[in-house]
Amino acid sequence: MTHGHLWDRLAEAKTRLDPVQSKYRVLFEDPATPDEPAKVLVPDPNFMAAALEGDILPPIETYQRDRSVLDGQPKEHPYAEPIGAMTEEEAIEYLVQKDIDPSVWRDYKGNRTILKIVPVEMIPSDRSFRNAWRIMQ
Amino acid sequence: MSTLEVSNLNDGTTTLGTTYITNGAAKCWNSFNGTGTVALRDSFNTSSITDRGTGAYTTNFSSAMGNANYSHSALGARSNSANQVGVFCGNSGDSSAPTASAAQVNEIAVTTYYDIDLVNNTFHGDLA
Repeated sequence: MTHGHLWDRLAEAKTRLDPVQSKYRVLFEDPATPDEPAKVLVPDPNFMAAALEGDILPPIETYQRDRSVLDGQPKEHPYAEPIGAMTEEEAIEYLVQKDIDPSVWRDYKGNRTILKIVPVEMIPSDRSFRNAWRIMQ
Repeated sequence: MSTLEVSNLNDGTTTLGTTYITNGAAKCWNSFNGTGTVALRDSFNTSSITDRGTGAYTTNFSSAMGNANYSHSALGARSNSANQVGVFCGNSGDSSAPTASAAQVNEIAVTTYYDIDLVNNTFHGDLA
């Protein structure tokens, strides 16, 4: 049986899976824009549900290879064979590699910590000085 | 799950190609709280959002668009009406340009960004 397009699998999954609010957030700083504040990656609850269910999302390597595919050219990840269920921690690592530039999580060679996976309780809810946020070393 | 393969739908009077449905459907949408602890309320084809600072957010797609020429509609709701604000999408002429895998939305009043209480995004276009 064909596994079809990723978009179709996501649409089908949304009809039967309950959203899963992650207890994690990913804090990161972009070395290419040192003057910008720390950024916060917020996992999508429907994406988390699909990751924990399995047989919906493609291998992370397909997204990474697609980074170098030009616009308008065929991409690999929508048609790749889906992978099995992940734990919540594995799903967060998957998201880091998918939605954060490799210059942050793979290529950075500096001494500062520029990426942290933290419990959501550690993210301040008071945003008065949001543009001054930095990752505590 | 079973699959029905048809190229046209007919209600007895009018015939409609199924491409109208596939081309016209929103390929991604989301609604999230942009203040306090930023959190998604509901979504489709969104893998995550990135809170990039005051009033600046990025939507990351689970299934990427075919190119960066898709249509992005965004609406923001803000309880403090002291400042008139506008919501704008990434500009193709600078570093906020949309890509096939992510799109930015920002809220601004004159030259200052403000957090948005509620952000609603919809994306139409061709999938990869």
